[in-house]
Amino acid sequence: MGKPMKERPTFKHLTVMACLMLLSVWVFAAGMTGSFDLQSQAYAQTGGNVPGKSLGNQSDSDFWRKLRRGQPFNLSGTPGGVQVLIQSPGEEWRSLRNGPLSYWGGLMILVSLAFVVVFFLVHGRIKMTGGRTGRAVPRFSQPERWIHWFIASLFILLAITGLFVMFGRYVILPIIGQQAWSAFASASLQAHNLLGPLFIVALIIMLGVYLKDNIWQKGDLTWVLQGGFFSKGHPPSWKYNLGEKFWYWLLFFAGLAISGSGLLLDFPWLAERVQQLQLAHLIHGGSAVILIAVSLVHIYLGTIGVEGALEGMTQGYVDEKWAKEHHGWWAEEAMAEGEDVVEGAVQTGQPDNMPAE
Amino acid sequence: MSASAAIETFVNNIDASAAAYLDACVHCGQCAQACHFYEATGDVRYTPVWKLEPMRRVYKRHKAPLSGIKKMFGLVPDEVDEDMLKEWEVLLYDSCTLCGRCTIVCPMGIDIAGLVRKSREAMVAAGLVPEGLVGAAERAIEIGSPLGIKPETLAKIVAEQAEEVGIPIELDKVGADYMIILSAMEILNFYEVIGALARIFKQAGISWTISTEAYEATNIGVQMGNKDIARTLVQRIVDAAEKLQVKYVVSPECGHAYSALNWEGPNLVGKSYNFQVIHILELLDQLVHEGRIKTKAELDQRRVTFHDPCQIVRRGGVVQQPRNLLNLVSGNFIEMENAGVANICCGGGGGVSANARAEELRIKSFAAKKKQLDAVGPEALVTACGNCRNVLEEAIDEYGMVLPVLGLTELVAEYLDD
Amino acid sequence: MTFLEITEGPLWVLASSVFVLGALWRIVGIIRFGRKPDISIPRASALMGAIKGQFLHFVPHGGFSFRTLYHLVAGYMFHLGLFGLLIYAAPHVLFLKENVVGFDWVTMPRWGFILTAEIAFAGLILLWIRRISDPVMIKISDADDHIASWLTFLAMLTGCLALEESHDSLRALHMLVVEIWLMYFPFSRLMHAVTFMFSRGYTGAFFGRRGVVP
Repeated sequence: MGKPMKERPTFKHLTVMACLMLLSVWVFAAGMTGSFDLQSQAYAQTGGNVPGKSLGNQSDSDFWRKLRRGQPFNLSGTPGGVQVLIQSPGEEWRSLRNGPLSYWGGLMILVSLAFVVVFFLVHGRIKMTGGRTGRAVPRFSQPERWIHWFIASLFILLAITGLFVMFGRYVILPIIGQQAWSAFASASLQAHNLLGPLFIVALIIMLGVYLKDNIWQKGDLTWVLQGGFFSKGHPPSWKYNLGEKFWYWLLFFAGLAISGSGLLLDFPWLAERVQQLQLAHLIHGGSAVILIAVSLVHIYLGTIGVEGALEGMTQGYVDEKWAKEHHGWWAEEAMAEGEDVVEGAVQTGQPDNMPAE
Repeated sequence: MSASAAIETFVNNIDASAAAYLDACVHCGQCAQACHFYEATGDVRYTPVWKLEPMRRVYKRHKAPLSGIKKMFGLVPDEVDEDMLKEWEVLLYDSCTLCGRCTIVCPMGIDIAGLVRKSREAMVAAGLVPEGLVGAAERAIEIGSPLGIKPETLAKIVAEQAEEVGIPIELDKVGADYMIILSAMEILNFYEVIGALARIFKQAGISWTISTEAYEATNIGVQMGNKDIARTLVQRIVDAAEKLQVKYVVSPECGHAYSALNWEGPNLVGKSYNFQVIHILELLDQLVHEGRIKTKAELDQRRVTFHDPCQIVRRGGVVQQPRNLLNLVSGNFIEMENAGVANICCGGGGGVSANARAEELRIKSFAAKKKQLDAVGPEALVTACGNCRNVLEEAIDEYGMVLPVLGLTELVAEYLDD
Repeated sequence: MTFLEITEGPLWVLASSVFVLGALWRIVGIIRFGRKPDISIPRASALMGAIKGQFLHFVPHGGFSFRTLYHLVAGYMFHLGLFGLLIYAAPHVLFLKENVVGFDWVTMPRWGFILTAEIAFAGLILLWIRRISDPVMIKISDADDHIASWLTFLAMLTGCLALEESHDSLRALHMLVVEIWLMYFPFSRLMHAVTFMFSRGYTGAFFGRRGVVP
C-alpha cells in the first residue's frame, strides 16, 4: 500500500476517537449540568406550560387530590389503580435495589475488570506464533458482522446509561450535587428508554444468526479439559470454543430476561401492578450486571487480548495462522471449502499488500 | 515522470461536474458491487471510487471551495506523490474498462468512468501509461491502425471479401452517401463483416465506400486519455469524410469508437461535423423499419443471448435497436439478467485488452460475466463490438466453455433474403 | 447570560450563518468551475435527462446484492427518520416557529416522535457500523466520514437525552452539538445533502443527451 496515509485513521484510532468523543459529551454534560443547572431559575409557567417546551409540565395536583381522598390512581404508570402510595413490597424492593443488588453487582463488574487487567499483565497479548501466513480465511459473514456491531453499539450505549442510572447516585451525585444529578439521571434514563427497544430487535436477530454454530458439538469439552483460555498451548475447537458458546447462551437467557423485564419498565402500562415492575427491575438490573461483567472479558479477548481476532469481525476474514491456532477444527473445515474469492481480501500473491493490523 | 504535471492536469480537469461528483461521494462503497473487477476478485482496491483517490486528493487539497480554510488547520489530504501515481497507474488502466456500470448503483449518480477518463489524462501528463497502449498509439498515428493494419492490407482484405460475396466494393468513392469505418479487430479477425455489409447495403440500395486514409474507427487516444492523439485520430476521419463528400459516417461494431467519434469527436476537433454519424445498429434498424432490407422467414433456432457493449448501449444510447434486429432473425432470443443498460462488461474495454499487463486480471474478471451467462445457458452469444467479441472469445476459451460469439451485423446478413 | 441563552442566542445566529453562507459559498464555488459546452449532436434532451437522473438514483438498479439492500434499507431508515424528526417533532416545530420561520405546522404525536427517533438511530448506527465492518468501506472511508457520522449521532443523542424537556442544561447541550454540526456542514461531506442534486443532474444531463439515462 506504499506509504501509510495520514488522513486514513486505523480502526484503533477511530475507536479511541469515538470513545473520547462520547466521553467528552458525557463529561461536558456533567460539567454543564453541574455549573449551570444550579443557577437556573424555576420555570415561569403560563397556563400550565413552560414556554419553549413542547411537553409542558403536568400539574401534580390531581394526583395528590386522589391520594388524599383515597381514590384509586395509577402508580408509576401501571394501569391497575391503587389507593396507596407507599407499600411494604416497595420498601423491600428499594432495600434490595440499593443494597445487595448495587453492592454485589458493582463488585462483580469491578472484579471482572480487575480479572481482565491481571490476565493481561500475566499473559500479555496472545500473539500468532511465527507471524502471519498471508492467506485469508473467511470467518464472519456480512450478516454476522453487521448484527454483531449493531448489538454491540446498542449494548455499549445501554450499559453506560444503565450504569449511570444504577450507580450514578453513589458515584456522580456526590461530585456534582443533587440538582445537576437530576438532569444527568433524566438524560440517562431517556436515552436508555429510547434505545432499549432497538436492543431487543437486535438481540433476536443476533441470536438467530449465531445459533447454528453455538449448539453443542462433539469435542467442545476437549477445549475446556486442555485448559481453555488459561492453556499454554492452543486447544482445538470448532468455530466457537466453549467459552464463546457460554457467552452466546448467557446472552440468550440473560438477554431475553433483560429484554422482557425492560419492556415492562419502558412501557409500564403493560404491567398490571407495580409489584411486577419491582420484580422486573430486579431481574433487569441483575441480568445487566452479569452481562456487563462478562462483556468486559469478551471485549478484551476480541480486541487487545488476542492478536488477529478483531479483524475477523471487521474485515470478515482472519489470517490462516490465527484460524489454525485458535479454532483448529473449524480452520480445517473452512479451508477445505477452499473458496476462491475472499471478499475484501487483497488478492493472494501480493504479500506486500497484506492489510495492516 | 512528473507528479506536478499530473497534479496540474487534475486541477485543470476538474470542472463543475467533477467537483460536484467528488463532493457528493459519501464513500458508501455501492460501486464495488457493480464492478466486475471487484466482484470477481473481492479485492477492495478495485472499488471504483478508490480509483479516483488521486483525483479526490488533488481536488480536496487544491481546488475544493473552502479548502483554503481547511488547509490552515491542516485538514486537507496529503499531496499526491510519484509512488501513489505509480500504484494508481495500474488501478486506472488495468482495473477499469470505463464501462460505467458503477454509475447506475451510485445513489449520487456519480459518473465514475468519466472521472477515470480524466484521471488517465493526468497519468498521460505524468508519463505513466501502460506499454501496450503506448505501442498501440504509435501504430495508430504512424501506420493508421493500432494493430498496424496498412492501407494495402485493408485493400487486400476488402477485395477478398468483395470476391467472396460477389459484390464489388469501391474504395475512396467520392460522393458516396455512407462512409464505413471499421475497428482493427474487425479488419483482422472478423473481416466477414465487410462482406456482410456489402450484401446488406446492396439489398438496401445504399451507396457506400471505405476510405483508405481513414478506415480505422478505434481511438486509442480516448482510451489512454491522450487528447492530442484522440483529436488527431478523429480529425483523420473528419478529413476523409469531407474529402469524399459523404453524408454519413457509419460507426461500426466497436464500443468506444462510437463514443469517440459521435459524442467526444466534435468536442475534440472543436467544430460540428458537416456529415452525420450513425451507428451501424441504428442504420440497420432504420433500414428494416423502412422495409429496405428483408430477412428470411425462417428464424435462427439456437438459444442466443445478447452481450451489450457498454459504450454502445449504456453509454451510447443504442439500446433497443440491437434487440429489434436480434428478434428479426432469432426465434430463441433470451435476455441475460440485467440486460441492456445494466449489463456486465466483457472485461476488456477502455484499453484493457490492449494492455498485456492486465491480461490475467481481465481473464479473472470474466467470472462476473460467466455467472450471468451460466444463468441463461445460451448456445450462442451475440454482440456488437469487435473488441468485446475478441475478449469474450479469449475468455470463453480460457474457462473451457463452448460458446460461439457472433457479430450482430453478420448474423443479420446471414439471414438476409437476397 | 445562561448557557441556554448563549446557545439559543448568539451561538445560534453564528452557527446558522456559517451554515447558510458556507454552504452557499461552496455551491457557488462548484458551479463557478463551469463546464465546457458540448457540441456533439444530442439524441434527446439533456434537461429531461437531468430531471430523470434526480429520481432514478433514489433506488439503485442493476441487481440487488446484500450490499445494495443493506444500504437501501438503512439509508432510508436514517434519512427518512432524520427528516421526520427535524420537520415534525413537536420541540423542533416550536423552535423553528420561534427562531426561524414564525409559524408552526402539524407535529407528530409523542409515540410517533419516539418511534421515528428509534428508526433514525437504528439507521445511523447501521450505516456507521458498515464503515468498520465492510472491507470496502474500511478502505474508502476517511476521517471526514467518521466525524460527520459521529457529529450527527451526537446531535441525535443529545436530542434524545433532552426528551424529558425539564432541564435547561440538556436542551442547551443539544443546541450546542447541533450548532457544531451546522458549522461543520459546509466544510465536510455532510454537503452531500446538497451536492447530490448536482451530481445526479450532471450525470443525468450527460446521459440524457445520449438518449439513455441508466
